[in-house]
Amino acid sequence: MNLFDFDANRTILNKQYNEAEWIDGGLTKDELQNKVLEMTYEVKDISIAMIKAKTFKYILENAQIAIDNKDIFHDKINAEGIMNKQRYIWLREVYDSYFSDDLVYKNHAYDLGAITAEADFGHTSLSRDLIDYGYGGLLDRLHKHMSSNQNLAEEQKEFYESCEIVLNAIMGFILRLAEAVKQYDLDSYECLKQISRGKPTNIYEAMQLMIIHYRLHEYVFGTRLRTLGRLDKLLFPYYENDIKTGKYTKVEIKQMLKYFLNKFWAAKVPFDMPFLLGGMDENGNEVTNELSYMIVETYNELNIYSPKIHIRVSEKTPPRFIKLVLNCIRGGNSSFVFSNDNVTIKALQKAGIGDSEAKDYVLIGCYEPAAWGVELGCTGCASINLAKAIELVMTGGKDLNTGVQLGLPSGEIRSFDDFENALKLQIKYLIDKAIAFTNKLESHYMEISPDPIISSTIYDCVKKGKDAYAGGAKYNNTSLQVMCVASFVDAVLAVKELVFNQKLVSYDELCEILKKNWEGNEKLRLTAKKLMQKYGNGNKEADMLTKQITEYTAGLINNKANGRGGVYKAGLFTIDECFRLGKVTMATPDGRFAGEPLSKNLCAVTGMDKCGITALMKSAAEIDFTDFSNGAVLDFVLHPSAVKGDDGLNAMYGLLKSYFAAGGALLHGNVFNSEDLKKAQERPEAYSTLQVRVCGWNAYFVTLSKEEQDAFIAQAENAL
Amino acid sequence: MLCKGCCTMMGTIFEIKRFAVHDGNGIRTTVFFKGCPLKCVWCHNPEGISFEKQMAYMPEKCINCGECVKVCPSSAHRIVNNLHVYQSIMCTSCGKCEEICLSGALKKYGEQISIQSLLSILLEDRIFYEQSGGGVTLSGGECLCQADFCEELLIELKHNGINTAVDTCGFVKRKAIEKVIPYTDIFLYDLKAIDENVHIKCTGKSNKLILDNLKYIDSCNKKIEIRIPFVPSYNAGEIKKIGEYLKNVKNLTKIKLLPYHNYAGSKYTSLAMRNTLPRELPQKEETDMAIATLKNMGFYVE
Repeated sequence: MNLFDFDANRTILNKQYNEAEWIDGGLTKDELQNKVLEMTYEVKDISIAMIKAKTFKYILENAQIAIDNKDIFHDKINAEGIMNKQRYIWLREVYDSYFSDDLVYKNHAYDLGAITAEADFGHTSLSRDLIDYGYGGLLDRLHKHMSSNQNLAEEQKEFYESCEIVLNAIMGFILRLAEAVKQYDLDSYECLKQISRGKPTNIYEAMQLMIIHYRLHEYVFGTRLRTLGRLDKLLFPYYENDIKTGKYTKVEIKQMLKYFLNKFWAAKVPFDMPFLLGGMDENGNEVTNELSYMIVETYNELNIYSPKIHIRVSEKTPPRFIKLVLNCIRGGNSSFVFSNDNVTIKALQKAGIGDSEAKDYVLIGCYEPAAWGVELGCTGCASINLAKAIELVMTGGKDLNTGVQLGLPSGEIRSFDDFENALKLQIKYLIDKAIAFTNKLESHYMEISPDPIISSTIYDCVKKGKDAYAGGAKYNNTSLQVMCVASFVDAVLAVKELVFNQKLVSYDELCEILKKNWEGNEKLRLTAKKLMQKYGNGNKEADMLTKQITEYTAGLINNKANGRGGVYKAGLFTIDECFRLGKVTMATPDGRFAGEPLSKNLCAVTGMDKCGITALMKSAAEIDFTDFSNGAVLDFVLHPSAVKGDDGLNAMYGLLKSYFAAGGALLHGNVFNSEDLKKAQERPEAYSTLQVRVCGWNAYFVTLSKEEQDAFIAQAENAL
Repeated sequence: MLCKGCCTMMGTIFEIKRFAVHDGNGIRTTVFFKGCPLKCVWCHNPEGISFEKQMAYMPEKCINCGECVKVCPSSAHRIVNNLHVYQSIMCTSCGKCEEICLSGALKKYGEQISIQSLLSILLEDRIFYEQSGGGVTLSGGECLCQADFCEELLIELKHNGINTAVDTCGFVKRKAIEKVIPYTDIFLYDLKAIDENVHIKCTGKSNKLILDNLKYIDSCNKKIEIRIPFVPSYNAGEIKKIGEYLKNVKNLTKIKLLPYHNYAGSKYTSLAMRNTLPRELPQKEETDMAIATLKNMGFYVE
């Protein structure tokens, strides 16, 4: 193992997953896929969990593997995505067997942009138990609980058996890798031998263990692993010990980090799978340590945006660490999101998470807080588009373009109160629909995608003998996102002003004008755009409505029972759905044309935050974010001139601290100017590496759609 | 809030900028007062020069809807061949057209505001000042041309525990400075030239008063940040002299060199003002050299 060849070999390492040289002896991917489909259809007398476990075992024993002798970490197996096909088949079967009209409604409601309600096997975290126990330790723990209970039910027996099969399969697979690497690299061989059964004894082994687990979990078994967890907290004890015992030096560990981080970059991991740094631990002590700095510095030197990094900010998080991250962002390396410990911990506690578990939270996926290793949160199941609720009130519940009945018919609207009440009813109807569908689907999760791997790393599952997707974890929560708040607020207040206060137009006339997409009514449209009552400007009326609507929706979601023995957690973000939803939402009273994007996350409607970033932050902070335990994120765009020099870095830090002191929950953003973005649009070849924070992930600007590029340019034009 | 009879006092401002980060320490809100005694050829805030309110018209934004024609009491707006024609000479800058304009093509610079109204806006961002060590900056134009108003405003700000900065060109009566000095935490003080003739060429006025006032502020032991607009074709030869002069200023916190830019060109056009902006922009080497000159003299320069 030569740690110091990273820079020289980086180009080759970056291609390692595209150009893997599979070692002879295993089945090709096609052969494997056919065999797996056979197994899926043939075996009918055993449970889905057992079929999955056996399929997984078969794959790990028979798939081709590859060793890259330039790398120090090994994980390559030629079986990507094969088991996902099984899940699609079983999901289809569940739909066919148990669903009919409700499925038709759900599909319409999704396509036409009212609600989303889907199965979510995409949001899990790497449990710290994996590192603390190792696979052998997890197996021993399993056996202990298995044997301590003499009267196991049939499902429990099957559960334990499925876990046993997958753990043994993984251990066998690691030995296969170890044998293959032996001729190239004895250090790697020793490392793999150790973690094939035992727990890691040094930082190198711990990182290798994470890489293998991630690869098998995400790419082979097919359950998305959406965070490695608290990386600085997990690895620091090894770091300290290795330096103390002289096993590795700091310089060597830094080199290892390059290989480690670049591994995820080279693999182009889905959604830039994250890890987390900083924040308080379960006892309230700050986690940020020497390694936290080293990780961020190494990441910035590599100039990559995947994996992405979550940063927790407690009152004790050192300003120097936060500024280090802000400096990366201002330098164009913006793949970070900040989470306010004060607010997030309270939100989780309100959602029923225990005190110390709430303090030890991670963010899963883009920004969803969850108790680490004890919560199986399906954080991306359901959502509601508030702007669509306005359309449905105005059309009597029918989608304008297709005439499909998505919502409630509405009664006569003679006053603003009537309008508000109709909206509330419509929103409740849609949320109830999303919850009902999701709950029904969740009650069939064991027929779609049981997961013995994740279950064997969660203590409660092992203790109860119950799969994580059957509700075996300590917390089994589901989430519903409230989307397009700013668009909703601006639109509702435009109705109030244009129709009921200024009486420029009657309610029925306005409905007709919007249905015709403002045609022939440009002056009225511009009047609507010019109104003062807009979210994001410290306007009292707009801020009040924002507070009311977020409280109202959170009340309809939070603590409602889900289909797995847990509860719902409300979220406030759209990610990039604001574009898709905009396309299928008719013109809105705030002056937006049909098809234009809706407001993103907690941003103002594009171009409508005219009083700058501080006013936007204050408006957002009016929301009680402790009601949104699934996360609520604000995006900032700052002009480079505003953040240059020491003044600029301090200003960024001041903004972050102020927003969090005012009660903000999550924050991320971009530093760029509209001129550069326009140039990048014209000459993409010259700006191929210009990064943008898209929503919960980053992308190169030039790879975005024209529509998304234009939205960023408009936002940047507003920035200074 | 305590009323000291200042409720009726009005100031004339043309902009309030929140999240100002280069007008003193931390995150600040900057108030731009209207009217300036100097006429710097490179002025990037031409809307701040005149003491009168002014109307700006941006034809590229106009949609020729004719709404402004209906409300204009002085026939400054007309529609000719379906196109909007604006004659600034007729305009009384009453601002009625700005209120009605749907496309943002008309903007009034200059608004009368009371201490209390202004204060309530400035206190909006208190949390940002507190967290970042920022505050409020009075700028312009020349804020000290409205010294009575500034004095009352600063008193209120100090009463609320807000850090205060006064950004001034220094070409004001001693009395004006005396009024604000007790309530000002730092002066952001512009220096363009030491040579009187150069100064006149740059600004139209002598710098005697400016240099005297600088000495006075220093003698009162107030913090001073010096800002040098750097326009090489005018004051490249002055940098060293400014450095020499500043050796005697005891309360200097830092020097900020502000390289000239010509972004303000379109503002002159929209205000129907004669564009006096120099053509030549500072080269990076020239700016670096000017900064190096000052640094070599032992100053902290940004």
